[in-house]
Amino acid sequence: MTINWGDFVTVIIASLVAACLLVTLFSLGLRLGDGEQPWRRPASVAMFVLCGLLVAIGIFLIVPALHSAVLG
Amino acid sequence: MVALVIVLALLFDFTNGFHDTANAMATPIATGALKPRTAVLLAAILNFVGAFLSTEVAKTISGGLINEGEAGLVFGPELIFAGLVGAILWNLFTWLLGLPSSSSHALFGGLIGAAIVGASLNAGSLDFAIINGGVFVTKILIPAALAPVTAGLVAFIATKIAFAITRKRERDGFKRGQIFTSSLVSLAHGTNDAQKTMGVITLALIAANMQDAGTGPTILVIAACALAIAAGTYSGGWRIIKTLGKGITDVEPAQGFAAEAATTATILASSTVGFALSTTQVASGSVIGTGLGRKGASVRWKTAGRIAAGWLITIPAAAIVSGLAALLVSAGFWGVVAVTVAAAAAILGIFLYSRRNRVDHRSFHRPEPGVFVAPKQRRAKKPKRPPKPLQVKSKQQPKKSSKKKKSKKRSKS
Repeated sequence: MTINWGDFVTVIIASLVAACLLVTLFSLGLRLGDGEQPWRRPASVAMFVLCGLLVAIGIFLIVPALHSAVLG
Repeated sequence: MVALVIVLALLFDFTNGFHDTANAMATPIATGALKPRTAVLLAAILNFVGAFLSTEVAKTISGGLINEGEAGLVFGPELIFAGLVGAILWNLFTWLLGLPSSSSHALFGGLIGAAIVGASLNAGSLDFAIINGGVFVTKILIPAALAPVTAGLVAFIATKIAFAITRKRERDGFKRGQIFTSSLVSLAHGTNDAQKTMGVITLALIAANMQDAGTGPTILVIAACALAIAAGTYSGGWRIIKTLGKGITDVEPAQGFAAEAATTATILASSTVGFALSTTQVASGSVIGTGLGRKGASVRWKTAGRIAAGWLITIPAAAIVSGLAALLVSAGFWGVVAVTVAAAAAILGIFLYSRRNRVDHRSFHRPEPGVFVAPKQRRAKKPKRPPKPLQVKSKQQPKKSSKKKKSKKRSKS
């Protein structure tokens, strides 16, 4: 009976980083979309686009046909 | 017998879908990001699509948990049948109690029970050696303990971040994000969970020589499973959605988004690394974590404790039911008939009992702000006459009578 503790640690760190990144980007997008200054709006849109990118990575990981070639 | 197994497998798929709608859709429904009917429809479609996306089917249903093959037990249709009976009954029972318990654990528990009884009958004495203890600990016990803790921790930190960055008036925007994150959870669920049923049906077909050994599920099997899980999802396990969305803690949009992000990230990370965590347990852990993360929010530990207790007894309970079923099935044809009748009676009983206190999509009606302000003033002026029933603007209540009843109740209290 071997327990792969390294895998568990990887999962915890990976999910922590991914979730926090997504939440930070989305929150920043909301926060920047709120102000009056002209530079805020494009910055906010950029944050949401990055969020969309993360979601795309998520879909990439879900669909086996997409990731099987890369991850094996 | 094979037909019976297929029907039961599809029924299990159905209960699986409707048990797990809550994982993805409880928080968007609770925060009002999605209307209840829209949410379950979206989840159903994504589950249906997900079932077609993945073709990796577990070669053995038990995944090495039960010692199969030459040295161990031959897993015939009778034992699969008994295992499915236990899994379905336990899924329905936990649904009745509104407990989010893992459907995979119910299936594993059922198969374990059936395998122990089957092996014991072969050996003539109690035989627990048929269960691979190491696999049981590494693949079920430890992930079950770690899943809610991991997801809870991630959701806790994510919630802190979300509340630190945004100001109060901006937080409604999280509702839109919730739609995307919860959709990801649904899709991941569809790709994982429909596979189990496909595996069971394909195994039964191969055992009955209706399909060549070593081949994957046919398109008919995939379509049937996808349909069953989508139908189950659409019918919505409203009781579990209520527990997860409202019972543990009161969820705000920012929390909902953080919890969904944590759920998605944890599930995807674990399935990519190679051990799948239970979607249900991850989602429940996230909701608890997000409840701890917001200042002023309280976690109802009593409800959380009930859920944890449900997880603890899922495997033994499903195993006992399946063991009994396997014992009866071994008696031959009439045993199978007896089990089928008893299972049908139990399902009917649970269904009838559930109608005594219905929980459906109307339970999640969110009044428009301001709608219920008027009657309070009226009551202050004329205390004797009850105010007129309010016309609640809502598309979610098609029946007129229920509308009147509800608004009367509200205005009295």
